Amino acid sequence: MVDAAISVRQLTRVYSSRKGFLFNEVTRTEALRGVDLEIAPGELFGLLGPNGAGKTTLAKILSTLLLPSSGSARVLGLDVVRDAPRLRSRIGLVLGGERGLYYRVSGRENLRYFADLYGIPRAERESRITEMLERVGLGAAGDQRVEEYSRGMKQKLHLARGLLHQPELLFLDEPTIGLDPKSARETRKFVRALLSEGVTIFLTTHYMFEAEELCQRIAVLSKGKIVATDSVAGLRQLVGGDRTFEIDGYGFEDAELARLKALAGVSRVVTEEFGPRLRITLRVQSPELELDRVARALPGHPELEVRERRTALEDIYLDLVEEEPA
Amino acid sequence: MRKVEPSRLRAFLASVRLSLLLFLADPQWVIPATIAPVIFGFAAFELYQGSGATLVLYAILGAGMMSMWGQTLYGAGWATGQDRELGTLEPTLSTPTSYLWVVFGRIVVNAVTGLVGGLVVFAVVSFAYPHPLPLHAPVEFVLLFAFVLVTLASVGLVLSAVYVYTRYAGFINNFGEFGFYIITGSMFPVVLLPFWTSPIALLLPPTWALDALRYASLPGYAGFGWGFTGDILGAVGTMLVYLAAAGSVYHRVEQHVLTVGNLQEY
Ligand SMILES: Nc1ncnc2c1ncn2[C@@H]1O[C@H](COP(=O)(O)OP(=O)(O)OP(=O)(O)O)[C@@H](O)[C@H]1O
Ligand SMILES: [Mg+2]
Repeated sequence: MVDAAISVRQLTRVYSSRKGFLFNEVTRTEALRGVDLEIAPGELFGLLGPNGAGKTTLAKILSTLLLPSSGSARVLGLDVVRDAPRLRSRIGLVLGGERGLYYRVSGRENLRYFADLYGIPRAERESRITEMLERVGLGAAGDQRVEEYSRGMKQKLHLARGLLHQPELLFLDEPTIGLDPKSARETRKFVRALLSEGVTIFLTTHYMFEAEELCQRIAVLSKGKIVATDSVAGLRQLVGGDRTFEIDGYGFEDAELARLKALAGVSRVVTEEFGPRLRITLRVQSPELELDRVARALPGHPELEVRERRTALEDIYLDLVEEEPA
Repeated sequence: MRKVEPSRLRAFLASVRLSLLLFLADPQWVIPATIAPVIFGFAAFELYQGSGATLVLYAILGAGMMSMWGQTLYGAGWATGQDRELGTLEPTLSTPTSYLWVVFGRIVVNAVTGLVGGLVVFAVVSFAYPHPLPLHAPVEFVLLFAFVLVTLASVGLVLSAVYVYTRYAGFINNFGEFGFYIITGSMFPVVLLPFWTSPIALLLPPTWALDALRYASLPGYAGFGWGFTGDILGAVGTMLVYLAAAGSVYHRVEQHVLTVGNLQEY
C-alpha cells in the first residue's frame, strides 16, 4: 500500500482575535470544525468552498504555517506540527496575491533569496531560476523590479518561488484569482504539466469549473466542514437524476415559496435577486413534476417565466455549501 | 528521496545580500545613519567644547553610539517589521531555515552601516574641533568601537524577535529606544544615573562594552569600579547569554505566531 500524501484526522482550528481599546474583546472563529481527508500521492486534489469556508486555513496548517487547535495531519508521512522543519523542504506553498514579494528588487533577486533559504545547491541556483522564470512565462521580465509587475506577473512569480526547490507536493491557494481568462488558462495548463511530472497538488478554488477541469477528486468545504468528497464523476452522479427549474418573476411572497417547496419532488428552493426581478431555482428529484404544475402553484403572476435547464455541477456545489452543515 | 539541506551560512549570506540590495534601492537610512548623528555630534560639541577635550570626546562617543544603536537595533527591527508589512514573513517562515539567520544577516548589514555612521561623527567632529582629541590608544579605540557594535548586534538579534512576534513591535521599540540610550550610558555615564538603573543596565552587554571603550579612550575616566578588564568580561559574558538565548527565543516566537496565526497581519 502506498502511504497517503496527505492524511488529516478530526482537524480543527479556532482563531481568537482581540479587539477594543484594551484588547479585551475576544472573538472566537471556528475556521475548521473537524476535517477528515485522505489524498493519494500524485493526485490533483481540489478543495472547493465559498469565502471564509476555511480553505486557506487548511492549506496553511498542512504547509506548517499555522498550528491546528486539535486533531492531526500528516503530509508525506510527516507530522505537520512535530516534523515541520523537515517537511518544509519537501513541500511548496503558493498563497498568491499582491503581497509576499520584495517589490524593490527584481523577480530574479526574489528567487535567489528564497533559493538560498531553501538550500538549493549553489551550482544549480542560477540555471534553476532561469528555467523556472521561463516556465512560468517571466523569462523576459526576470530582471525587472517586482513593483513594475502586473497582478498576473506577480502570481507567476509566486508560482516560480513555490516550485524552485522542486517540492514533491504543492499547495496552491486560489492560483487563478484575479487573473484574466488567458492567464488563468495558462496557469491551469501549467498545473496539469506539474501533475504529469508526478507532483501531488492540493488546490483551493472558488470556481467549480476550475475544479471540474483540473481535479481528479474534489472536497467541498463549507463553514469549516467537508460536506462532500468525491470524484467529479461521483459528484455528477449526484446531479444525475436531478432536474432544475428556473422561475423568473416579481414580488413573490413567503407563502408562495412555501407552496413550491411543498410540491411533490421538489428538494430545494433557492431565490436570487436580479434588480427588481426575482429568480427562484428549484431542484426537482421526481421525473413526474411538470413545468405547468409549478406555474399553477403561483397564480396571480402573469409575468411568470418558467423553464427547465440542465443541472450543472455548479448547482450541486451551491446546494452543498448553502445547506447548514451538521 | 531527494534531500535539501539548508545551510545557515547560505541563509545568512542571502539575507546580507538582500538587505544591501534593499538598502541601495531605498537609502532612507542614510539620514538616520549619517546625518542625524552628525547633528547630534555637533549639538554635543557645542555644549561641551568649552569644557575640555575629554568631554568633547565623550559627547562624540554618545552621538556615535546613538547612530549605531539606531541602525543596529532599530534598523534591523524595522526591516523585520517590513517582512510583516510586505507579507514576506509567511513565505520566509515556510522555508526550512530558521528566521534567526535571516535576522542575523540583517543585523550585520545594519551594524556595518551604523559603524559608518559612528565613524562619520568622529571624523566630522575631530575635524571641526580645533584641538587634538585626547585619544591615547587609537587602535584599541577602533577595535573596541567594533566590539561595542557586536554587543549591540547581540541585543538587536534578540529584540528583533519582537517584530516577528507582533505587529505592535514598532510601538514597543520606540519606547525602548530612548530608555536604551539612557540606561546603557550612551548619553550620560551610567554612574551618574539613579542607582536603580544600574542593575538593569548591566543586563545589556553594550553597557559594559561602552564603559570599556571609555576606559580605553578617555584619559582619567572613572566608570565601573571593576575597571577595563571587568568590563570586557562582563560584556562578553552577557553577550554570550544573549546569543545562547537567541535560538530558543526564535523557536518560541515562531511557535507563538504559528499558534496565533497572525503572520499576515501588519
Ligand atoms: N488570522 C485570522 N484571525 C481571525 N480569524 C481568521 C484569521 N484568518 C481567517 N480567519 C477566519 O477564519 C475563517 C476561514 O478563513 P479562511 O481564510 O481559511 O477562508 P477561505 O476559505 O480561504 O476564504 P476565501 O475564499 O475568502 O479565501 C473566516 O471566518 C475568517 O474570517
Ligand atoms: Mg482563502
